[in-house]
Order: sequence, then structure tokens, then C-alpha cells
Amino acid sequence: MNNRHSGPIVWLGIIASTCLLLYLFRQVLWLVIPFLLAIILYYLLMPLMQRLLLAGLSRNVASAIVAGGFLIVFGLIGLFSAPWILSHVGSWQEMLSRYLDGGIQFLLNTALILEQKFSVLRKAHLADLVNARLAGYTDNFAQQHIAELLVSVVSWLPSLLLAPFLAFFFLRDGRRFKKFLSHAVPNAFFERTLYLLHEVDQTARRYFQGLLKLTLIDTVLLGSGLWAIGLSAPLALGFIAATLAWVPFIGSVLGCVIVVLVASTDAPNDPWLAYSAIGVFVLARLLDDFIFMPLTLGRSLRMHPLITVLMIFIGGSIGGVAGLMLVLPLLGIAMAIGETLGQVITDPRLRARHRHAKALLATQVNTDLYSEYDGKV
Amino acid sequence: MFRFLKPNHLPARLQRLKTLQLFSTLTTRELTIVDSLLHSRQFLAGEIVFDEGEEGQALYILMSGTVTISRLRDNVPEVIAELTSGSFFGDLALLDNTPRSAQVRAKEACDMAVFFRADFISLMETDATIGYKISLQLARNLAQRLRSQVIGRPRVETL
Repeated sequence: MNNRHSGPIVWLGIIASTCLLLYLFRQVLWLVIPFLLAIILYYLLMPLMQRLLLAGLSRNVASAIVAGGFLIVFGLIGLFSAPWILSHVGSWQEMLSRYLDGGIQFLLNTALILEQKFSVLRKAHLADLVNARLAGYTDNFAQQHIAELLVSVVSWLPSLLLAPFLAFFFLRDGRRFKKFLSHAVPNAFFERTLYLLHEVDQTARRYFQGLLKLTLIDTVLLGSGLWAIGLSAPLALGFIAATLAWVPFIGSVLGCVIVVLVASTDAPNDPWLAYSAIGVFVLARLLDDFIFMPLTLGRSLRMHPLITVLMIFIGGSIGGVAGLMLVLPLLGIAMAIGETLGQVITDPRLRARHRHAKALLATQVNTDLYSEYDGKV
Repeated sequence: MFRFLKPNHLPARLQRLKTLQLFSTLTTRELTIVDSLLHSRQFLAGEIVFDEGEEGQALYILMSGTVTISRLRDNVPEVIAELTSGSFFGDLALLDNTPRSAQVRAKEACDMAVFFRADFISLMETDATIGYKISLQLARNLAQRLRSQVIGRPRVETL
């Protein structure tokens, strides 16, 4: 079962079912996102839970301690950081507008430099055009988007609060659910099903561990690059950009915008700092998307790097931002299920054994039905 | 609240597990952990548990009933052993990924506890004491079979 060789039909089925799942998940995103967060929490808290189980605690008590402990720690962090956050909100707002202004100034300066270099752009009045567009966007930004953003954050809050509760139930009942599923499987397919469930679990575990590794690599890589060009708070910026990269492509662009805003504000008269920051970012993203991501996430899912990259594009086009985030774990799970199911369904011996077991059961339950009263009915 | 004052009685299932050679050295806490990893299966008389040559992923513990172990010799199945309640088989699957060396079929209706290989490996990694105790029992069992084979009285085939 470890050396699996699936044919093209199985692979087509795997890709098609991944696409279908992405489409369906997009319709119930309010449930999928908390589920995803709950799964990440589950794999994060699982080692602690295992320690408690091995110390002799029951599964109910261990899961309650772990999930309750997480909620308490999370609540305490929120409680203690709230006054600090409230006291700094004003300065953050100022900082945000300072960085936005810095970014706008950088764009205008770049447009002016381009106008000086290229006569075509000068004739097209590029700087004026950029200025007008940006003014229109920034003038109406607060009215158009802030309220919308706040409403969407508030509407997502209850569903996000589901995540720790879901994680608690995953921790408490995960094994029971696995046993429940395997219990329903006929004896002939039992070992294969156990292996399948194990593979699905391992795939998800490897993916989320890979994601954390990738975040660490990105943080170090970007942090080092930004430090080398002399940008302020390089590690923090690297961490923010690495976390945003959980959403492939769009997250990367957002991370790059943040880095450029900081660079252009920190050194308004030195556009080369911002250009260098973009260079570092592009280099890091290229290394990330084509080397580190296939090596960590792709390898964690035992997928060919080409398939990983292609599926990211397909996921984005089907499911948008959520599709980009979900496509790889879904593909990994579909792959584990598809390959094993393909093996089970095409194994004539297993099917024959199942038919034999059914025939034995039929004989057993019919034994006393036709012996004594045969011919009297 | 005063549960610790009550005599320490093992639940019936744990008592049953404690009587098995494989788990005889485990403490109550360790038995509880192992029990949470075991799967229960029922087989009808005549039903095949696994085939010769099949890839093994689990160890089977016979809680009740009898099974026959047979191997194909010149394409004719030959019964080489019979195992009764309390025995276990398929243990080599826990140690490596080799194919099953014989077929096992329920001679009468059987209740079995199944120990999945990945669960066993994970247990070895997370709790070395339980892993060591079970491994030692497995090694003892293999040594016993080997000794029986050397003196010409094979007890049970290794699966």
C-alpha cells in the first residue's frame, strides 16, 4: 500500500473531486473557515493532549483541559492586551495614514521618474493620472470600505468563535469518530480502510506542519533580506508577510505592498530602498513559490511540484482566496482517499471475500427459517 | 469524590486484556491506553480474516472463538495451525511491512481485537514503556515459536 501507482483515471477522479469540493466549499465558506482553523488548532494542541492521555487522564478530561486551557490563555492575552491595544489605537491610526501617505508619495515619485525617462508616459501625463486615481480612491476609501469591512468582521466573528469549540470536539471525539467510521466497514476492507483513515490524518498533519515550517522559512528569509537592505523592523515585517502568504499569491501581493509602504515612508527621499525591498520580496516569493512551497507543502503531501503549482492556479480560479488556501490540503486528502479507494475497488479478491462474507451471513440468518416448516406454508 | 477509597477493580474488558500474554505486563493505566487504540471486529464461521500474500497492517487478538491458519502447498490449502481464544496472530505486520505468510480463517464465530500498525508505532514513539513491554512480549512469543521449530514441534506459524 505504500508503493501506490494510480492510473490516469484515478488521478482524473482525484483532480475532479478536488475541484468539485472547492466549488462546494466556496458556497459554505462560513463553515469551512472555522473548520480549517479548528483543524490547525487540533494539530497544534494534539501533542499536549497526547501527553495528558499518556499521563493516565481520560480523553474527556484531557480534551477539556487542553481546549479549556487554550481558551483561558487566549482570553487572558485578550484581556491584558486590550488596554494596551486601546491606548495605542490612536498612534496606529496615525502610523497607518503615515505609511499610506508614504506609499502614495512613492507611487507619485515613481510615476514622475518614469515620465522623465519615457516621453510616451510624459505625453500620457502618467503622474497626473496616478494622482487623480489615488485621490479618488483614498478620498472615498473610508466612506466606501471601512463600514463594509467592519460589518464583514462582525459577521465573521461568531463563525470564527466556532473554531475552538470544533477543535475541542475533534480532540475529544476524533478517535471515536475514526472507530465509528471503521466499524461500519466490512471485514474484507477493514485493514485497507484503517490505512486510508491513517493516511488522511497523516496528510492533513503533514500539510499543516509544512505550513508552519514554510512560515518560519519565509520569516527568516524575508527578515534577513530586509535587514540586509536596512529596513526597520525586518523580522516583524517578514513575519507579517510570511503569515499573509498562507493565502497564495494574493497574500504575497499584500505582504509586498506592506513592505513597500514601510520602505517608502522610512526613506521618502530614497526610492531605491523601496525598489530594493520589492526586489527582496520578489526574490523571496520566487524562492518560496517554486522551491520552498513545493519542498515543504508539496513534499508533505507527496505531490509533484508541477501539480502543486498547477493546482494552486486551478484552486484560485474556482474558489477565489478560499480556493487558494484550501486547494492543497483538499488535493492531498482526495489523493489519499482516491488512491486507496482505487486499489480497494479494483481488487477482485477483496470483493470476492466480501461477497463470501455476505453469503455466510445470509446462510446463518436463514438457517432456521426453512427447516421445520418447509412445505407447510 | 471518594472514588480513590474504593477497591481498584478493573473493568471486564480490561481484565480480559490483562489475561492475554501480549498485554500481561501492562498496568491498568497502560491497559486503558492500549484499549483505546484497539478496534473490535466480529467474524462469522468460515470467514477469511486475511489472505496469504496480502499486505499486513494489523495484529489480531482472538478474544473468543477459534481460527485456522493455512498455507498453500502446490495450490492446495494445508492447515498448519489452529488458534484459540487468547492467542494473537499477524504480529509480524506490527514489526515490518512483509506480506502475510499464511491465510487465517475463522473456524467458528470469533470476536477479535485489532491493533493497527500505525497506532502501535505511534504508541512506541509517544510511550516508550508500553512500547517496550509489548515489544518484549512479541519477542518472547517469536522466540518461543523459534525454539519450538528448532526442536521440531512447530507451535504456531509466524504470520
